[in-house]
Amino acid sequence: MKINSIRLRLTLWYGCVLATILLLFGSISYVAMEYALSQQIDNKLREAKDRLMPAIEEYLIPTFEQTNIFSPLLLQQGAEVAEEFWALAGMDKFFKIVGPGGFRLSGPAGNMTLASVNIDPETIPLTEYTYRAGLDGKVILESVELGENLFIRLLTFPIHASNALIKSDDSILMFLQIGTSMEPVTEALQRLLLVLILGAPMAVLASLLGGWLLAGRALKPIQTITQTAQQIAKGDLSRRIKASPFEDEIGRLISTMNDMLGKLEVSFRQVKQFSGDASHELRTPLTVMKGETEFALRKPRTQEIYRETLESNLEEVDRMSQIINDLLLLSRADLGEIVLDMIPLRLDKLVKEVAQQAAILAQVNFVTVSLGQVEDITIRGDELRLRELLLNLMDNGVKYSRSGGEVTIALCAEKGKAMLSVVDKGIGIHEEDHVRIFNRFYRTNEARTHTKSGTGLGLAICHWIVEAHDARIFVESWPEKGAKFTVCFSLPQ
Amino acid sequence: MRILVIEDEPKVASFIQRALQEESYAVDLCADGSTGLDFAKDIPYDLIVLDLMLPTLSGLDVLRALRKAKVTTPVIILTARSQVDDRVAGLDAGADDYLTKPFSIEELLARVRARLRQMTHTMDVIEVDDLVLNPSTRVVTRGERRIELTAKEYALLEYLMRNAGRVLTRAMITEHVWNIDFDTFTNVIDVYIGYLRHKIDHGHDRRLIQTVRGSGYRLQANE
Repeated sequence: MKINSIRLRLTLWYGCVLATILLLFGSISYVAMEYALSQQIDNKLREAKDRLMPAIEEYLIPTFEQTNIFSPLLLQQGAEVAEEFWALAGMDKFFKIVGPGGFRLSGPAGNMTLASVNIDPETIPLTEYTYRAGLDGKVILESVELGENLFIRLLTFPIHASNALIKSDDSILMFLQIGTSMEPVTEALQRLLLVLILGAPMAVLASLLGGWLLAGRALKPIQTITQTAQQIAKGDLSRRIKASPFEDEIGRLISTMNDMLGKLEVSFRQVKQFSGDASHELRTPLTVMKGETEFALRKPRTQEIYRETLESNLEEVDRMSQIINDLLLLSRADLGEIVLDMIPLRLDKLVKEVAQQAAILAQVNFVTVSLGQVEDITIRGDELRLRELLLNLMDNGVKYSRSGGEVTIALCAEKGKAMLSVVDKGIGIHEEDHVRIFNRFYRTNEARTHTKSGTGLGLAICHWIVEAHDARIFVESWPEKGAKFTVCFSLPQ
Repeated sequence: MRILVIEDEPKVASFIQRALQEESYAVDLCADGSTGLDFAKDIPYDLIVLDLMLPTLSGLDVLRALRKAKVTTPVIILTARSQVDDRVAGLDAGADDYLTKPFSIEELLARVRARLRQMTHTMDVIEVDDLVLNPSTRVVTRGERRIELTAKEYALLEYLMRNAGRVLTRAMITEHVWNIDFDTFTNVIDVYIGYLRHKIDHGHDRRLIQTVRGSGYRLQANE
């Protein structure tokens, strides 16, 4: 199954880890508990044995040594020992004295065993192994099943003759077996097991629930981010993700995304502005052509009116072609499709040539074009594009000059740079427009009012040409005082 | 009927003006927003055609300023952008209608007529005595006789007939029938009144166009 939710995955991980921990912890505690409880019982049995030893040594051993047989006296003495045993507190007691050689210490028939009444003496076994171990003088502790579901812990120890120098088979007088029920231990262990079996799944369930809630809480900001991003994807770029009050991972993610959205919005707005401007600039000539043509066709007109209409339409067609050519150039430039043919060329010669050309065009506007200081300078550049740059700058100078104005062009070398300047004394540009005039289709209000010609793309093209030559372009201008455009080229080393 | 056209593109302004004049409206032109606003506030135009992209003051700003100054003249906006936003903004700012550039001249004229009709509620035939003027067909008759009028004469007569019985000063006539280039010191109004009298009252006993000495003119049925 593929899990598409981090929340679910986190929760399942929590659950798995906790279940593993609980299993390990449960097993260890069960084993430790079992060991501790068994130890406790064994200690109690040893303690009981130690407490019985004085009575055994005082009564049982001397009596037995004297009579060497199982006698009523011995039985009585044994009962004394048993009394001592019964007096011990804190155990579920079983008691038996067994004769040597596997024989039970029995009554006169050789069959009688001194044993506590709560057991059937027959059922407490004296195994071969225990017997052998007893012969070796060892105390044996063992667990024995005594009837149905009755488990006892049994301590068996041999009682040797008091005068025996070497402890051997012969020196064993009898075996004393004392035991206590294992029930408290098994009960405690069963209860522990029950707690573990019932408690662990509940703990795992609780951890799953807690994990689910915690993961949800931790992932909530991500949910918010996703929702906002979806709304943004639907087209509302002005939306922002609500900033987190913490400078944590999520907070940083949100501020990074918001920064990115800001940049996206700006460039999206620029694209929208650009396409809006382009459609406006193209619609205006279309409006003129449609309107004038329709007007001419409304009624029979004079030849003169038809001629004027056609001439005006031709102007608009030219204007549209100019806009479309400029747009095409710029979009090809954007795509990097225009390869510049960079060769060393004499910029001064180009300046003089273009100035001459511009002077002829300027006559129509009654503007003079004059050359300032022009030094001999060679730069690397694309002649065609540089010619376009110069012509655009001079054309702007002429266009925004008043009748009788002057446009001056100069070229000089300064600190390893070639400085080309075009100065006019025309309508000028407000300072806040100095950057924007290089934007596509941007025309200042003054420029729009001053002249209707121009596509609003000339300076954008200049800007592109300048950048393509690794040069820079500046403007200094004040309203009504004129403008100075300076292009700064690097000189070849 | 006098109309103000605020449009910065000279060629567009020019053909709109010529077409409206051909329909016998008096037309003034403004090439930027702030001048347009001044004109619209000062002169009681019957309708304004407003471009949205204007220098100095945008069309929307002009519109808002006009509505704020309680000028309720109907406004038809011209927008080069077909985006819904622009049109909504224009209509919200108080425009009565809009046209998207490039538009058809006939559509502009139809919308102008519709707006003026809505304003005056009178495309009904106007009658004064036996003189009848039908604004929808622009046919004028007196008795059985049909009277042929030039565009200017028609505009003058319509204004007089809509205000039948009232004394109209030369200034009022100028404001509603002629445009801003009209020189009020000439006797052009008197000349046109003369033309109308000749065409309407000539050969009739009841003279409808009367001169109110020192004030202006009045058109009313004689008892």
